[in-house]
Amino acid sequence: MKQFKTILAFELKNFIKNKTFVGVTLFLVAALAIVMFFPRITDAFSSDSDADDSSISGYSGVMLILADSDEDKIAYANAFGAAFTDYDVHVATESLDAVKDKITSGEIECAFHIESPTKYTYYVGNFSMYDENYLIANEVMQSIYRLDQMTEHGIAIDDAAEILATPIEFENVSLGVDQMQNFFYAYIMIFALYIVILLYGQMVTMNVATEKSSRAMELLITSANPTSMMFGKVIASCIAGLSQLIAVFGSALLFYNLNREYWTDFEMAEMFFDIPPELLVFMLIFFLLGFLIYAFLFGAVGSTVSKLEEVNTAVSPLMMTFVFVFIICMTSMSSGNVDSTLMKVCSFVPFTSPMAMFTRIALSTVPVHEIVISIVILAASVFGVGVLAAKIYRLGVLMYGNPPKLTKLIKQVLFKK
Amino acid sequence: MVLEFRNIQKSFGEKEVLKGISFTTEGKKAFGLLGRNGAGKTTAIRILMGVFPANSGEVLLDGKPIDRASVGIGYLPEERGLYPKKKIIDQLVYFAELKGMNRKDAEKSIDYWLSRLEMSEYKNKSLDTLSKGNQQKIQLVTALAHGPQIIILDEPFSGLDPVNAMLLKSVVKEEISKGKIVIFSSHQMSYIEEFCDRIAIINGGKTVLHGDLAEIKRNCPRNKLVIRSVDADAIMKKYESRCSLGENGEILFRLDDESEKSGVMNALVSEYDVDEIKVFEPSLNDIFVEYAEEQM
Repeated sequence: MKQFKTILAFELKNFIKNKTFVGVTLFLVAALAIVMFFPRITDAFSSDSDADDSSISGYSGVMLILADSDEDKIAYANAFGAAFTDYDVHVATESLDAVKDKITSGEIECAFHIESPTKYTYYVGNFSMYDENYLIANEVMQSIYRLDQMTEHGIAIDDAAEILATPIEFENVSLGVDQMQNFFYAYIMIFALYIVILLYGQMVTMNVATEKSSRAMELLITSANPTSMMFGKVIASCIAGLSQLIAVFGSALLFYNLNREYWTDFEMAEMFFDIPPELLVFMLIFFLLGFLIYAFLFGAVGSTVSKLEEVNTAVSPLMMTFVFVFIICMTSMSSGNVDSTLMKVCSFVPFTSPMAMFTRIALSTVPVHEIVISIVILAASVFGVGVLAAKIYRLGVLMYGNPPKLTKLIKQVLFKK
Repeated sequence: MVLEFRNIQKSFGEKEVLKGISFTTEGKKAFGLLGRNGAGKTTAIRILMGVFPANSGEVLLDGKPIDRASVGIGYLPEERGLYPKKKIIDQLVYFAELKGMNRKDAEKSIDYWLSRLEMSEYKNKSLDTLSKGNQQKIQLVTALAHGPQIIILDEPFSGLDPVNAMLLKSVVKEEISKGKIVIFSSHQMSYIEEFCDRIAIINGGKTVLHGDLAEIKRNCPRNKLVIRSVDADAIMKKYESRCSLGENGEILFRLDDESEKSGVMNALVSEYDVDEIKVFEPSLNDIFVEYAEEQM
């Protein structure tokens, strides 16, 4: 136990002294600070300049309305003005060609040529992918046309307006889980798990392989118990990974709360930071167990490598498996069917359950006993894989030359003492 | 303190590496564990250190199974290497702590050893800034800092300049005089001959020779003469079947029986102009070559 603590402390110190690790963490926190303070900063700037140029603030450009009769021009300009609050809407006094020239030169942004109550042409410089002006125009034109038609058929204009504007009251009640909201958490957790496991898993492999290639292993293996070494390394990287995540997400939460009033316009942000506590607990459990089971394997793989150049080849089967699980989860998430047979099986298999079970918990209603069974299987496997990895490690670190096959080592560990 | 290897056997898979190694060594005496490459020396050392257990046989200290934690074992592996990018003091403390020392004692002991090995100025440097010889001295500190009762030195002199070799010799002699068990493994026979009172030669996984070095030498058959003579060619010609040429131009004359020694000596001296004639005493190198070669 004392050895384990010594190794853990030594490995943790390595992380703290690792400039890349500290640098990346600080960079992420700083980047988040910039993002989270952004609305406050822009708000401060825009309130300063409010008084000076109130006439143009809020308008993104000039929009002209062309029509055959002056009466129509004014009516449509009023209706468009009310619908396009972002634009400075005017009646065009010039000819269509002159308007086109002005759009091309950038003097005005766009123009609507109303040809009949049910037909118009929209002129704009570059038609953006996100340009939805035509949709708004369709609605405006439709309402005007409907109102006209209704009044023509003898309905009083006020009644007609009321009929057209009747609001529908509605409410969505989810009796299971709200997929809309939880999709987010599942997505972020799975992504975080994916990145952190790949990153830290590789670090564990490199750490073991470096000790072996620098031959520090000769001394280590005679000084410390391999199980303590394996657990010390893996748990240290787990603590480092988790503290990095906590630093990043914690600072995001802190910065959000400091700037909460500036974020009210962003529903996504509010939704993101109001994570249900029970989901957070599951996230933590599956994250820890998932991280550990892979980190042990990455450590065992590292011990089979003699040269650092061989690390990439050695870890690739493990990475492939992991990427495969990631793809399965992501695909079923986006399809919305997270309770497929494949996902159900995956949510009990130790290497896939951290991602698969969490996805199911977040996006569907999973019976409690299934969750318990999955966690128990996973926890037991973490322990088993840890012990197995330590044994592979003990054999692996003393072998130099061509890396032995992992399956061969496992057989050796299991069947020959 | 007596350390005994009793009939140690070890196999890796199908391959039987040690087929029954036995030897004893004691405190205040240095012991040489010899063998050709791949003979099983490192495996024997690893069994002594508890890296893996033997398939059968026992390692005993004073007649009881060895308790490695309480006795403390210091090891200088042949394959040197520590953490190249880490500060020297940090890694030395780490290894001492792994061996069970607390931080304070570890720092104190490391300070002593760094100054004893004239390395104090490098304490806060990273290892890869040091020369190979100095790195080796740092590695030696990891073997000694925790005050082990058994010290295993695998090729301790390789890579050291003559001044550092002298320093290491005096350190090793000090440790031997403190009553510790010192085990040398080396292919540099001159060093073994200088230090070791007892040796064991391992070959093909077995102990082929074991015991007190002086006694081994005494017991070697005295059936060879060394002759230096200006008439070497004539002697070689006359006794062609019994003579061979030594490394330094001397003639090695094989006797059929030790009893004919005086007769042959007198005959040669009276017949030829002989500068020197004596009974051949094998060096450790000769003994090693003889035992390690013929048993392979």
